[in-house]
Order: sequence, then C-alpha cells, then structure tokens
Amino acid sequence: MTQPAPTRLSRRRLLQAGGLSAATIALGISAPETAGAEPVGRDELFALGVASGAPRPDGMVLWTRLAPDPTAADGHGGMPLRPVPVRWDVATDERFRDVVASGHALAQPELAHSVHPRVTGLEPGTEYFYRFRVGRGRSPVGRFRTLPAPGDTPERFSFGVTSCQAWYHGHFTAHRHLAEEPDLDLAVFVGDYIYEYGITSANLWRRGASVGPASAVEVETLEQYRLRYGLFKSDPHLQRLHARVPAVVTWDDHEVQNNYVGASSAYGMSDELFAHRVAVGYRAFYEHLPLDVDALPEGPSADVTTGLDVGRLARFSLLDTRQFRDPVPTSAEEQHDPDRTMLGAEQERWVADRLVGSPATWNLLANGVVVSPITEDRTDQWDGYPAARQRLLEAMARSSNPVVLTGDIHKHVASELRADVDDPSAGNVGVELICTSVASDGDGAPTDSYTPDWVQHDYVKLYDGRRGYLHVTLTPEQMESTFVVVPWVEADDTAPREVVARFTTPAGRPRLDRA
Amino acid sequence: MSQNPAVVTGLQTEQSITRTTLSWRSLGFEPLIDHYRVHAVRGAERDFEPTEDNLVGKTVYPRFEHDGLDPLGETWTYRVLARSDAGRLGRPSRPVSATSTPSVVGTGTPVAVVGAFDGRTLEHRFAPAGYAQIPVEHPDAVVEYVQGRDTPGTAWPYLLPGPGDSWAGRKVYRARWTFELSGAPTDSDLAIWLVDTTRLGGVLQVLLNGSALTSIELPAGATRGSREGDATVPGSTLRRCYFEPEVPADRLRTGANTVELVLAEGGWVAWDAVGLFARP
Repeated sequence: MTQPAPTRLSRRRLLQAGGLSAATIALGISAPETAGAEPVGRDELFALGVASGAPRPDGMVLWTRLAPDPTAADGHGGMPLRPVPVRWDVATDERFRDVVASGHALAQPELAHSVHPRVTGLEPGTEYFYRFRVGRGRSPVGRFRTLPAPGDTPERFSFGVTSCQAWYHGHFTAHRHLAEEPDLDLAVFVGDYIYEYGITSANLWRRGASVGPASAVEVETLEQYRLRYGLFKSDPHLQRLHARVPAVVTWDDHEVQNNYVGASSAYGMSDELFAHRVAVGYRAFYEHLPLDVDALPEGPSADVTTGLDVGRLARFSLLDTRQFRDPVPTSAEEQHDPDRTMLGAEQERWVADRLVGSPATWNLLANGVVVSPITEDRTDQWDGYPAARQRLLEAMARSSNPVVLTGDIHKHVASELRADVDDPSAGNVGVELICTSVASDGDGAPTDSYTPDWVQHDYVKLYDGRRGYLHVTLTPEQMESTFVVVPWVEADDTAPREVVARFTTPAGRPRLDRA
Repeated sequence: MSQNPAVVTGLQTEQSITRTTLSWRSLGFEPLIDHYRVHAVRGAERDFEPTEDNLVGKTVYPRFEHDGLDPLGETWTYRVLARSDAGRLGRPSRPVSATSTPSVVGTGTPVAVVGAFDGRTLEHRFAPAGYAQIPVEHPDAVVEYVQGRDTPGTAWPYLLPGPGDSWAGRKVYRARWTFELSGAPTDSDLAIWLVDTTRLGGVLQVLLNGSALTSIELPAGATRGSREGDATVPGSTLRRCYFEPEVPADRLRTGANTVELVLAEGGWVAWDAVGLFARP
C-alpha cells in the first residue's frame, strides 16, 4: 500500500510522530483512491450517521465513523481490523447532480474507522450537501452552510445549545425538536456529550431501551469509550441534528470521569495512572466528533479550544474549562487565591485576545461550567475560581456584547453578569445562557430543591429543571434567546416542544428582557 | 501503519487479603494502548499461553487488582499484554506468580462477627443508600451492638460517619460492640473489612475494653459506598480495604468484652463486616 506524504497537517508533531503516524492520521483526512482494502460496501456501515463541524467561510470538516454494529463490545463497531477507503462528495443539491468537491479518506482501525476530511474551496455563506460512500454503500445526506465571508455582516444567525446527554436517563426528544427548528445554522454542544457511568437497571430510565453487559460497567478503556459513543450516537434524533447543521463541541467532565480536575481524578487515583484514562477518553472524543485535526490528542493532552467568526456578526470561542483548572480548593483562603486559574494562563490570554480584539457585534464563549456567582460551595463551577472569573469578566467588559453559553447543571438558567460580582451597583458586562440537559436526570420538574440557591439572586432571570435545549438568534440589533423544554423524556420521544421563556438582549445593552 | 504494542515488562505483584495487585511499566501513548489484558491461571510457576478463557481482566492503567480471592489465599500465575487502538496485540509478559495474603477470616476460628465478609454492605441497617437515616436514629453519634441480642440488619448501620460528613453533623461517631467470651481468652485477631471509604480517608481508632488497641489510617476511597452496596459487581469502583490487628489473649477477658470503633478523623467508612477470630 502506498501512503502519501501528509499534505493537510499543521501540527509539526504529526510529522515527527511514530506509531500513530502523520501518514496514518492524514489518511483519515485525505487518502489516495487506491489506499486501503477492498471496500465492504453496505449502507449499514453508516449506522452512526454523519456530521460536519469546524466551519469556515471556505469549507468544513466532514465526519463519519464506519460501524455496522455500533455496540460491538470490542469498540471497533463490527468493522474488520483493516483500513477501508471512504469517498466523500459535496454538492450544491441534495441529489448530488452538482458535485463541487469530492475526495477520499481512509477509515482506519487506529481511529475506530472514523474519518475527518476537511473540505476547502467552497463559497462563503452557501448551503451544501454531503455524503460518504464505501463501495456501493451510501451514508445519509448531511447539509451545512459555510460561514459568511470575513467582512460580511449577515442579517441573522441561529444556533442551538445542548448539553448533558445521559442517554440512559431519557429519550433525545430535545434533539428531535432542535433538528426541526426552522432557523438553525449551528449546533453548540457545551459538555457531557457522553457519560462514563455503568448503565444498569438502576439508571436506565429510557423506557424501551436495553444495553448489553459490556455497557453495565464504568467506562475506562478505549474500547469502552468507543462503545459508549457508539451507543449514544446511535440515537436517530442526535444523528438528524448532526446531519442538519455543523456542530462545535467542548467538553466537561463526563467525557472522561465525573468531576475530574486538571490531570487529577476525584476518586483517589494517582495522576500518573489517571493519565492513561484521560488519554483514551480524549482520543474517543476526537474519533466521534467533527473536529479539526488540531483537536487530536497527544497522549493525555489535547487542544479542543477553537473559534469561529460569523462574518462581523458574531465570534464564538470554545473554552476548555476542565483540563487546565487548579485543584478543588481546600479552604476559603485557597478558593480566593488570586493566582487560581480555571483556564490556565495560556488559554486565559487566548480568550482575552479573542474578546478584546474581536470585530464582531456578538462575542460568545461556550464553556463547561457556570460563570454566574451562585453559592460559595459550588467549587466545581467558576464559583470555585473567583479571581479567575473576575479576570474573565474584565476581559468581557472590554469586548462587544459578550455572551456565555453553559451547560453542566441540568437546568435552564438565564443570568446577567455583573462587572464586579461583589458590587451590586456594578453594571452588567454581559449575559449567561445556561441550557438544561438533553436527558440527564430524566423528566425533571420546573422547580426542585436547588431552585432557591439560584433564584435568590436578582440577576438570575429564569430557572427551570426540565429537559430541553436553548435556541438563539443573533441579528446586528439584538439577540433573542429561547429556552425550550420537553415535559418528559423517560417514557418516549413524543413530548411536545414548549417554550418556557424567551428573552431579548439589545446590542449594546447587556441585559435579559422577557419577550 | 501503526506498530504493534511492545511487550509488557516489569510485572510486579503486591499481596493483600483477597487481592493480588499487579503493576508493570506503562507502554506510554504511542501507539495509544486501548487497554492491557491480564491473563491468569491457578497455581505457581506455570508457563501458559494467554487465551480468552484465561483472561481475568482488562485495564487501561498499568495496574490491575485481582480481587475477590479466597480469604484463605489464592495462588495464581499472571501474564499481561497490551492491545492498541487499532486492535493489535503485543506479546505477553513473562509469567509471574503470587499468593494473596491469607486472612484470619479464613485461617482463624470465628468468636464473634457482625455481618458477612462478602464485599457487600447489604446486610447492614439502612444499606445500600439510606445514610440520611443514620444521624436521625443515632443523634448521640453512638451505635450500640450487643452480640446475640442484635442483628446487623436492625442495629448496625452500614456506614459509620465521621467528622468530615456534614450530612451527619460533622461528629465523631463510635460503634460499640459487646460480645461474651465463655472460656479463657486465646490469642486472636480482629478483622475489620470495609467496602469503601471517602476521598477524605481518615483515622479509625480501635479500643478494646476501654483502652486503645490500634489506630488505623484509612486510605482514600471511592466515596460511593454510601450509595452502592456491592463491591463484587463486575466493574464496581468501590475501594475495599482490610485491617486485621492482632489481639493478644491478655487484652481479652472471660465474660463481656467491648470493642469500640471510633471514626476520629475523615469521612465515613462503609462496613463489610467486623469479627474476632481465635488463632488456630
């Protein structure tokens, strides 16, 4: 088999790496037509659907993972342990009569037969359709719209925000409705795309679902993480959402282990040992999402921070609030230590630069945990990192219309962010929109035992404990945020879409007005 | 394409009660190791070929606890190999044999026990998750248990809370266990088996008939034994631990004896069982 020199890799290390070599990775992105074994063409190869992501004005990353049996216990999705060539096409029409780009990638067992080709040379602000082919097997058709050209200001841009997809706690009804939103350009996933817990009769609340014994234990090995992504991504509503619009993703803790902090487990294990689990958790994250190759981990380190500009209308920055944070504080003095960091120094500078230097009207930060001050003991949130939060707020104050998008807490919360959390008279610098879970915690209720902690603050404008998603529309004049709930998720996926609250935020006025 | 994983080297064993812990040199991250596969056969110094039939566990870490062994001790011979991200298998390590430490639960004669030494809290009161009842039922932070009169299900809560537990009032809890010795005391051992502890660890003081017998430094645990009661479920993350301090005959007396277990520091312990065992 002839392997070409990698042509699309920006990371020097890939050119130097042994093992999972530059060429190997490159083949998941771009491969000669002759590479790989004889195709095993069947539509069932695409049981995990398709996705697009890392949007740019001139292109997109396309994703699929060949897996005729997504819950195969060895984590290889029922695929033979050999490379398989995959062809991709991008067209301006759904029937692929006008194919404007096509190419080959090699699905390899090293990456669980996932491919991440980056399409370039497309027109900005244009809708395209894409599909994959293996032999005579064809994937579902996905679509995306490229981002506007850098200088342009689009009239509007709409996106959905979701988090906390505990598949076993309920049906992905939220994804069903989000995928059907008339206005939708992007899906933003803000963490806990999977959960690592063992799935047993105690937590399998998704009626009608069953799992094999391999899913009954806590996820620790690469084959287990792959199996877990295979299980969650087998959901048809999640697949429809991914096929409908590009996705950008950041992680929280459950992509590895509950409440892990930096390089440390919260469950009494040395960092040296835990690094092995982090490495396979991060790898599986890359394998299953439409990410640029820059997000490919190097052992237990990965860079998933990224950004995109929607012309001059909006700038998104996706933060990693898990990998670089300082340990849980052991005292109030430590908690308030000015040197404490949530993002790490490098990421903190990066996001400040993106905020302050942004040409965009709206500046959105997607992050894993709540920024708004709620209670001192919520040390997993930015409440555990007050000095770092103050620095973030100061950078936000120097930018135009900053908006934080958050998940984690399994509740819808809308909050205004004050310039100084300790000064009630300080003006607002921005707003935080916290989306509830897609499924985690099952049906939920409008209020619960946590409600008083949140609504005690006058800057918290909404609290709802049911499942759902957030839909946001940006225009040059205002941001409209719609908090959608579904009344149940455990029984089935038929619950209706209900709007629990809608806010407008005028450009230049960082507040939440009930619409 | 990526290479096969290297051979596993540096295989070492550490023995404890019902458990042999294996560790080896990490093969690093190139190629990425999906997991290590631990193969084992009963008996010592045997060479054998790893097969699916003798696979006793998989682990992502260069460390494996072969758990649930007979308290009398079990001898096994181990070989470990790695599986890469691409599903390729490395060559297995050289075989290494080890015998788990025999416990007094297996070697001694039971004199008095509370609960079953089985890796579960389930026979104890409020198990597996009713911890909130403990401070309600024991507002004075004292658990009294009289052998012969009481049973684990009615009088021995599955957790002994500690000063690190805000839900239990941040108190030092003590469990007072009284039993009768009908004959002359003999040299004995006290078996204290725990299903889990908290991430805080702690200190468990052991008093016998009013004076200190020993003080046990508790390891950090999984903090899950308050909600899960069975450490023998495959994949359980509960962290069992075992302590078996000796009890010389002259520390015991004919008639009533009282063992007091005081959680002086740290968070709760989840009981598997406690018992006094006479030496053979």
